[in-house]
Amino acid sequence: MMEKLEHLAGMILSEAKALGASYAQCTVTEDTTKEFNVDGGQFSLMRTLFDRGVSITMLKNQRKGTVQLNCFDDEAIRSAVKDCISACESTEPDPAWAFSEAACERDFTSGEPVCDTDALFLRTKELLENVAQRHPKILVEQMITSHNAERSIYMNTNGVTYRTHAGAYSFSIMYSAHEGEKGSSFYSSDVTLARLDRPIIECALVERELSAVEKQIDTVPLGDKFMGTAVLAPAALMEIVLYTALGSFVSDGSLIEGTSIWKDKLNMMVADPRFTLSVTPHAPHVVVGEDYTNEGFLSEDYDIIRDGMLIRFALSQYGANKTGFERAGSSGWNLAIPAGTRSLDEIIRTIDNGILVMRFSGGQPAPSGEFSGVAKNSFRIENGKITDALSETMISGCVPDMLLHLRDISQDVLQDGTFSLPYIAFDGVTVSGQ
Amino acid sequence: MLQELFSGLKATFSASAQTELRGQLNRCRRVSMLAGNIVSNSRTDISGVSARVYKNGTYGFSSIAEYSDEAARAVLQAASENADFMDLHAGRGLPSLPPLGKKHFPLTQDIRDVPQSAYIDFLRALDAYMKEHCPGLISRSLSATEDSMEKMLLTSDSMDAHTILPRSYCYLIMTAETPDGAPVELLQAVGGEGTFDLNFTDPALIYPQIDQLYDRIMHKREGVYADAGKKTVILGGMMTGMLSHEAVGHTVEADLVLGGSVAGHCLGRQVASEKVTLTDFAHTAFGERCPLPVFVDDEGTEAADVPIIENGILTGYMNSRQSALHFGMKPRGNARAWLFSDEPLIRMRNTAVHPGTDKLEDMIASIDDGYYLIESGNGQADTTGEFMFGVTMGYEIRHGKLGRALLDTTISGVAFDMLKTVDMVGDTVVWSSSGFCGKKQPMPVGMGGPALRCQVTIGGR
Repeated sequence: MMEKLEHLAGMILSEAKALGASYAQCTVTEDTTKEFNVDGGQFSLMRTLFDRGVSITMLKNQRKGTVQLNCFDDEAIRSAVKDCISACESTEPDPAWAFSEAACERDFTSGEPVCDTDALFLRTKELLENVAQRHPKILVEQMITSHNAERSIYMNTNGVTYRTHAGAYSFSIMYSAHEGEKGSSFYSSDVTLARLDRPIIECALVERELSAVEKQIDTVPLGDKFMGTAVLAPAALMEIVLYTALGSFVSDGSLIEGTSIWKDKLNMMVADPRFTLSVTPHAPHVVVGEDYTNEGFLSEDYDIIRDGMLIRFALSQYGANKTGFERAGSSGWNLAIPAGTRSLDEIIRTIDNGILVMRFSGGQPAPSGEFSGVAKNSFRIENGKITDALSETMISGCVPDMLLHLRDISQDVLQDGTFSLPYIAFDGVTVSGQ
Repeated sequence: MLQELFSGLKATFSASAQTELRGQLNRCRRVSMLAGNIVSNSRTDISGVSARVYKNGTYGFSSIAEYSDEAARAVLQAASENADFMDLHAGRGLPSLPPLGKKHFPLTQDIRDVPQSAYIDFLRALDAYMKEHCPGLISRSLSATEDSMEKMLLTSDSMDAHTILPRSYCYLIMTAETPDGAPVELLQAVGGEGTFDLNFTDPALIYPQIDQLYDRIMHKREGVYADAGKKTVILGGMMTGMLSHEAVGHTVEADLVLGGSVAGHCLGRQVASEKVTLTDFAHTAFGERCPLPVFVDDEGTEAADVPIIENGILTGYMNSRQSALHFGMKPRGNARAWLFSDEPLIRMRNTAVHPGTDKLEDMIASIDDGYYLIESGNGQADTTGEFMFGVTMGYEIRHGKLGRALLDTTISGVAFDMLKTVDMVGDTVVWSSSGFCGKKQPMPVGMGGPALRCQVTIGGR
C-alpha cells in the first residue's frame, strides 16, 4: 500500500518539475475510520469511511500555489498539478516562502494501525453503562467514538521523504445533567488513546467532569459584581488564555501584520515566573503528535514561555522569514503547562472570593487580549470553599495582565492524549451577574 | 459536474431496509491577502460516494473517496453490514420510516469553475483601494472564497435529486489602534449564493462597503467600554440573525431536543413576546429567494418551511425522518450533510425572525440609556438556551441618539427569557450567509431578521 502512495507522490513531483516548478511538495494520504454514534443516550449509527487525500504545494519563481483533492486517478492528479502551476503563475512572487532543504528519509509509526471494532463497540457500550450507573442524572446528548488508521507519505523536491503509519482511538462525549424540567449546561469530555486497555470513564478527567456537571442542575445567578480570583479548568484555560495568546500574540498572522502586543517582548517577562508554556509533540502523553511541519521540517518540542519569559514565537518558516524571528519547532498545538505544587482543593482553600470556570463561551479574542464572556459550568468560591453552581455569570479581563497576576497552578493535570494542562488560578478577573 | 452513474443501482438496494446513496463533489477556492502579501492561494476538490442504510431504528453508513459504480456498490455493501452489526448488537426494534413518495428533483443550474487569477485580480483591486483610501490602519487583510456542494442522491423510498449550492464571498478585515495603542479589528463579509464571477463583477461596487467599514473602524478606535449589566438594547438585523440561529434554532433541532434541550419542555408554551415570529425557511422567505435555498435534503425529503415560533408560542422542531417519526411531526428537509463522507444531520437552512412595523430611527429614539449593537463576531449557545454573542461593532444610545462607538464586548442571556422582553420589531430584514454552522460537521446556513428592542446582559471591562 505504501508503495502505491510513494508512486503517486513521485509522479506528482516529476510532473511539477516538468511544468517548471522550482519547488514542489506533496502529501498523499489514505485512511480508514470506524465510528460509533450515540444520540440521546441510544446507539444510532455505525460508520466506516475509506478516505484519501492529496495535497500539493508548488513554487514557481517564488510564487506559491496549493491544490487539494481526494482522488488518486492519474489523470485527475496531472490536472491538479497543472491547476497548481496556474495558481502559482497567477499570484505575486514572495521571497519569504521556504521549505525544508535537508535531504532526509524517515518512517513514523504510532498507535494501533488496525481497528479492533468489537473492542471499540464494547468500550463505547461500557462507557454508556458506567455513566448510567454512576451518574444517573447525566443524559448523553451525543457520543462519538472512533478509530482512525492513516498511512501517508510526504515528499518534496529537496529530497525529503516521510512515511507515516498511525492509528488512534478517540472518544468524545457531550452531556448535561437533568432532573425533571431542570437541566445543566452541556459539557464535553474528549480523550484520544493509543490502546483500549482501560475503561474510558477512568481516562483523563472524564469521571471528575461528569460528577461536576451533575452538581450543576440547580444554579443561582451571581447577583453582584466583583473583582476576584478565577480558577480556570483546562478547557476554560484553553479558551480564554491559550487561544488568545497563541492566536493574537505569537503566531504568523499577528506578527506579520505587526499587531501582536508581544512583538517587542521576546526575552522579556510576560508571565509569572512559575508559568511555562510548551509545545510537546513528542511527549509520552501525546498519542498522535506532529512528526513534521507543513513546510517539511522535523517537529521538535519547544517552549514559547519558559519561567515567565517569552523565549520563542510560534512562527512558520514563512513567518520567520517575514519577521526576522526564529522558526518554531513545530506547527502543531500539543500544548503543555507543567503542573504546580498544590492540589486544586488546596488552591481553592486559599481563595476568599472567586469562581471556578469549567468552560468559557466568549467572543473571539481581541488583539489586545481583552476578553469577556459567559462562565459556563461554573461554581462560586467563597471563603475557601466551592458553594453554588452559577448561571448567567460573565467574566472579563485581559490575558496579558492575568498571566502576570497568576495566583497558583494545580498539581491536578488533564492529559487527554493531546494536551497536558493544569487548573490555573488568576487574580484580578471581573465577575458579574445579571 | 457529477455525471449520472448510479441509477442502475437502485435494483440492488436491500428490500428489508431503507437506503440512501449519495455522490457528492465539494469545491472550495480561497485566496487570502495579508498586508499586501498573498498568504493563501488554494483550490480544493473533494468527491466520493456514500450509502446509509436504516434498519429497525439504527443506521449503517459507509463512504469511499471515489466517484464510481464500483465504489457505490462497495459502500452499499459496507453500509448494510454496519446496519446489520448495529441491529444485532444495539438493535432498537423500531418501525420503518414512513415513505415520502418517489419523485425526481432535477439539476436546475450549472456552475463554471472560476480561474484563480480572477480571485487574485479582484482582491488586488480592493487592496489597492483600501491602501489609498483608508489611511491610519495598522493592518488590512482580504480573502476571496467560493465553496459549493453538488449532490447526486438516490433513495429507496423518497425523492431522488441532483442539486448544487454555490456561494462566494469577499472578506474585508481592518485593524486600527486606539489612542493608547491597543489594536481593534473589524470584519465584513460581502457576497452570497452564486459563483465568484457572478457575484463580483466590478470591484468598484464593493468600495462603498470598504468606506463604511473604514468609518466604523475609525469610530471604534475612539470607542469606549460598555457598562456591564442588564441593558435595553437595539439588536441590529445581523445580531437578530445570530440570535435566531444560535440561541433559538439549535435548541429546537430535534436531535438536541432528544439530548435534553430546554425546548423539550416548551412546545406549545409562550417562549417569546407576541411580537416575535421565527421560521426556518427552506428556499423562499418574505416573497424572495433565501440566501442559501434548499429544495430537497439529503434524505430525499422535499424542503418546506419550519414554523418555530408563531406570535411568541413555540410551535415546532426541525427534524430528520427518524426524529419526525419519534415526535409525530412531518420532516421538512432539514437533514443535510457537508461532505460525501458525512451522514445527514438535522441542520438549519435560513432561520429568521419575521419583520415588524417599527422604524429603526424610532427604535433608537425610544431609548434613553442603552446600546445599538450591529455586528457580531461569533456566537455560542447552550442547550439550556443560554447564549453568548461577541459584539464587534455597536454604539451607545444616550437620550434617543447614537453616541460613542463601543470596543469589543459580549452579550448574554437566556433565549426564552430574553425574547419575552422584545417590545419593538423593525420593518427591514437583514440576512447573512457567509459563515458555517458547526455541529459535528460544518454547514453553510443563512440567518437573518429585523432590528429588535429587548433587554440583554452586556459585558463590560
